[in-house]
Amino acid sequence: MGNFDLLMQGFGVAITPMHLLLMVAGVLMGLVVGVLPGLGAPNGVSLLIPLTFSLDPTSAIILLSSMYWGALFGGSTTSILFNIPGEPSSVATTFDGYPMARSGESTRALTLAFMSAGIGALTGVIVITLLAGWASNFALRFGAPEYFAVYFLAFAAFIGMGSAAPMKTMVALTTGLLLSTVGMDTITGSVRLTFGYSELLSGISFLVVVIGLFGIGELLSTVQEGLRFRGVASKIDLRDVLKTIGELPRYWATSLRSALIGIWMGITPGGPTAASFMSYGIARSASRKGKAFGTGRPEGIIAPETADHSAGSCAMLPMLALGVPSSATAAVMMGGLMIWGLTPGPMLFATKPDFVWGLIASMYVSNLIGVVLVLATVPMFAALLRIPFAIIGPMIVAICFVGAYTVSNSTFDLWLVLLFGMVGYLFSKLDYPIAPLVLAMVLGHKAENAFHQSMVLSDGSLAIFFANPLVSAIMVVGIALLVVPKLLAFGSRFRRRIPVE
Amino acid sequence: MTVRRFHAEIGTALATGAVGATAAIGAVGLGYGWEERGPQPGYFPFYVGLILIAASIWNMVSAFAAHRQATAHAEATGETEEPFLEREHLDRIGRFIGAMIVFVIATLFLGIYVGSTGYIAYSAWRQGKYRPISALAMGAGFAVSLYVIFEVIFKIPLLKGPIEPLLGIY
Repeated sequence: MGNFDLLMQGFGVAITPMHLLLMVAGVLMGLVVGVLPGLGAPNGVSLLIPLTFSLDPTSAIILLSSMYWGALFGGSTTSILFNIPGEPSSVATTFDGYPMARSGESTRALTLAFMSAGIGALTGVIVITLLAGWASNFALRFGAPEYFAVYFLAFAAFIGMGSAAPMKTMVALTTGLLLSTVGMDTITGSVRLTFGYSELLSGISFLVVVIGLFGIGELLSTVQEGLRFRGVASKIDLRDVLKTIGELPRYWATSLRSALIGIWMGITPGGPTAASFMSYGIARSASRKGKAFGTGRPEGIIAPETADHSAGSCAMLPMLALGVPSSATAAVMMGGLMIWGLTPGPMLFATKPDFVWGLIASMYVSNLIGVVLVLATVPMFAALLRIPFAIIGPMIVAICFVGAYTVSNSTFDLWLVLLFGMVGYLFSKLDYPIAPLVLAMVLGHKAENAFHQSMVLSDGSLAIFFANPLVSAIMVVGIALLVVPKLLAFGSRFRRRIPVE
Repeated sequence: MTVRRFHAEIGTALATGAVGATAAIGAVGLGYGWEERGPQPGYFPFYVGLILIAASIWNMVSAFAAHRQATAHAEATGETEEPFLEREHLDRIGRFIGAMIVFVIATLFLGIYVGSTGYIAYSAWRQGKYRPISALAMGAGFAVSLYVIFEVIFKIPLLKGPIEPLLGIY
């Protein structure tokens, strides 16, 4: 078991006082970010990246990933106590979590959510541990055409498997790709699409775009709703916590099924949001008799939470092993890796084992820290939402602009945040997905490089993408992901002859 | 004024199409064909731009189709089409964005500290109905914590205006 030895070595890296402190700090910041509207995991991580430039990459990634776990926990807290999903991926938790909390069992609801989240995350990390060595060895066989095929697969999966209209996903993707081409081109050395603006020479930073799209955009949606939080009392009673933990084994089937769904959606670019909805839906249709879903059923909390967290942690595997992130937050972290001078992909495992295994080991530790911390601090963070929006809203706005400014000390970026904030608001109102845009921005350069190199290899023939079994297989899976889900939907609609609304 | 979803869809599709067109036109200037060593610099943006234009046209057409169905439905049942943004929402969003734009402009001229103090104090005073003095205290407190976190702990300089040097802060 080479992986096991490496993991132990990773624990050696992860469990140092400095790193444990970073994990606690990361989880706490993540909780704040997860609880507050307008600050989610992707732009929380974006805001933090400029602050990590002075840390070494291992410490930096531990801090960022801990923040991600914290944000996931924080998102569930507000879903249950306030019926406001702090993160898009915890929307499904509101369906049963809030009713359960309303009926006076808020401790039970929170404990169910956090324990399932912890179980989901641990299952995800175990899968990463088992698959990491294999995945990176597999990826070592990849050349430029294979990489392009993998990027194609990731884009195709978003279009085919996403819940949004395929052409809207396409718009988001291609906009992201175009944004990534602005500025100095590293392959040909020419300056592209700057239209005479010298501010655009160094390109548009995806961090700035993420801060605008997710931060300001989400905040505008909150403003439109006219914030009025109606929270449930949030005292945590230790006896109820223990009682609820004792109740968990009864739902082992739901947990296991949800974890598997999460793992699948995390490794393929489905992402945590899709995973939690899917898991909730399947739990509902698989449930035996009992209280109806939507009225506070335990399975209705366990299913989305487990899937959300196992998908969230599994999203790290394709990012590390292939350099293809499958969620928006993983995309931002990968961008961070590249800023720190690391190239995600199979070579990372060979050249920086301490970094990779330190990160994987830290995922075990920081998720445990997360479960404990979140249970201990829920009342405190829930109080954050009682601060009037007239104060907290502008503070979040100011933090977003400050964060964008620190990316490259450019005032031009402030205008970009404003612009992309409005774009983000409009996109989410009109059901354009935002995650593909971020993914495309981060992957755009690499996809174009891979395409360029393949074309040079093949002398301009697209046949190189079907030249050997490996690359053909990836391309075929990509095309299938693009076409099959929509065909199935179309086919079943046709068969049942349901009139189109 | 009420914005209809149909208009918002069309406007967005036009805008994304325009982005695609801008990119494609820009790429034509760079050369979108082939040369000895492979694709020219504009190759990738040119074709991605074309795909974006096509997808935007598709979205526009489906918005028209949805609109026609909705109007037919509205005539049959007497219900009006679902509004995209009601007047009340539009007002709220407009005020929020307006304050944000003023904040950005103030930041450009006066620096982030003064800008955010003013912005937070103004919101707390007007929207939060706090007394001006406590609102100002909140804004100043926020700016001081920004200063401590960024400049003292992380040693990252933030944008400063003409006022900070007078206080001896560079």
